[in-house]
Amino acid sequence: MRIFSALCLLAGLILPGAAQAQEGHPLTGTWSGDWGPNLEEREHLTVVMRWDGENVTGLINPGPRSVVLGTVRLDVTDWTVRLEAGARDDSGRSVPIAAEGRLENLESAHRTLRGTWRQGDRQGGFLLTRD
Amino acid sequence: MAHGLRALLLASTVGFTASPILGHHSFTATYDTERRVSLEGVVTRVDWVNPHAYVFVNVVDDQGTTMNWALEFGNIFDLERDGWSEDTVAIGDRVAVEAYPARGTSRRAFATAVIRSDTGRRVFAAAGSTDGAASNRPAPRWPDGQVRLGPLPGEKGHWGPASVAGLFEDAGTEIPMNGDAILGNLADVGRVAPFQPWARALYERRQRRLLVDDPMTRCVPPGGPRQFHTAYGFQFVEQRELGRILVLLGGGNRNWRVIHTDRRPVGQREEVVRTYYGTSVGRWEADTLVVESVGYNERFWFTRGGLPHTEQLRLTERFTRPDFDTLRYEVTVDDPGAYTRPWTGSWTIRWLPGEDIQEYFCEENAESTFLR
Repeated sequence: MRIFSALCLLAGLILPGAAQAQEGHPLTGTWSGDWGPNLEEREHLTVVMRWDGENVTGLINPGPRSVVLGTVRLDVTDWTVRLEAGARDDSGRSVPIAAEGRLENLESAHRTLRGTWRQGDRQGGFLLTRD
Repeated sequence: MAHGLRALLLASTVGFTASPILGHHSFTATYDTERRVSLEGVVTRVDWVNPHAYVFVNVVDDQGTTMNWALEFGNIFDLERDGWSEDTVAIGDRVAVEAYPARGTSRRAFATAVIRSDTGRRVFAAAGSTDGAASNRPAPRWPDGQVRLGPLPGEKGHWGPASVAGLFEDAGTEIPMNGDAILGNLADVGRVAPFQPWARALYERRQRRLLVDDPMTRCVPPGGPRQFHTAYGFQFVEQRELGRILVLLGGGNRNWRVIHTDRRPVGQREEVVRTYYGTSVGRWEADTLVVESVGYNERFWFTRGGLPHTEQLRLTERFTRPDFDTLRYEVTVDDPGAYTRPWTGSWTIRWLPGEDIQEYFCEENAESTFLR
């Protein structure tokens, strides 16, 4: 009984994080990671994308300060992605976001998107992993 | 990497006619038909499981090291038709085997011939054919005249092999592909379906990788048209009094699909979550069962060969039984998320009389469990 309970607990801990395979449009899903100018200075990043048949739409960091994705372009010749959006800083000033990256490990539910992130006058690398 | 892909592609081309339809995994991706191995050793284990039988043999190499090889024999029903049984070889028998080795370094191979060393008798030679003579019987009908899709009362039988290996748009000419639905010529990609660019690129990538990423090898159900393309057949159970038809699948995890025929509205997803088999509503148009389905998830490949789809997928299937032994299957794919317009493909499926579909659970299969 103790073993059974332990197994149930283990399953409960593991299953919520289990991958949902996604064999449709490769950008569709929730992506998590971070960006920053170096390994020490990182900002958490969540990007939600969805393919509607014509465009990829979505949000950066969903929540009260979420940013709506402007344009998302996928170049299927080399699986590179360009994201553009317009954020606002604390003073309400517009801060453009532009990111370019490449999809890696495309066949995995946990595929990754890695590249360069520019936000206003700051720039750094980013790595996103599909949840 | 590019070299590796070229090598895989070359292997695919060379082995174009050599890959038997094994249903749930890509033979071309698993075995190298350009190479042959000759093995001799003692049988240590016999796994007589659906869908693939395995015999394990201890082989001693030139250095005197004993290595255990896993030898796959393909579909057990084909084996049985060819006279092979669970007892054809036993633990302790010494056998000589000709086989295609697996890609990579695993000690695994697909047997094409087995000879008992003690008697010299050939006990197995791959045949790979389930063809039988047509019965020339008319399509069976219910008392009210409607065509029956299943067997007649008191008879056994189920639907078996398909006339083509994969789905492609009907355009007057067949597209060459091997038994795994891998194109003979990648230049034909544009003829398969009216892809959106991303879907074409993904399909081509899957083809170049010889379908090694197929989710069905991880026991994901064969939803969509693929359910009528598995090597282990399917059966219709028409529950007219309940207003539904069950499709029982031999090639999934003892899966079934429900087609509602109770005149409920079409095109409305009924399951709480999106599913592998969708919500299906059928109606009879003369002798053709027309089924419309929506509500698919994106976690599977809906065809053999790796055609992509999205949650916008909507299928219209037409089932016609022109005679006792033939089922014509036609499907119109309407998925604006992956294709530029609706398109239609079709194939015929042959009746296998005298046998039922068998129990099959992917999880216990060699491919998915003990050889991973």
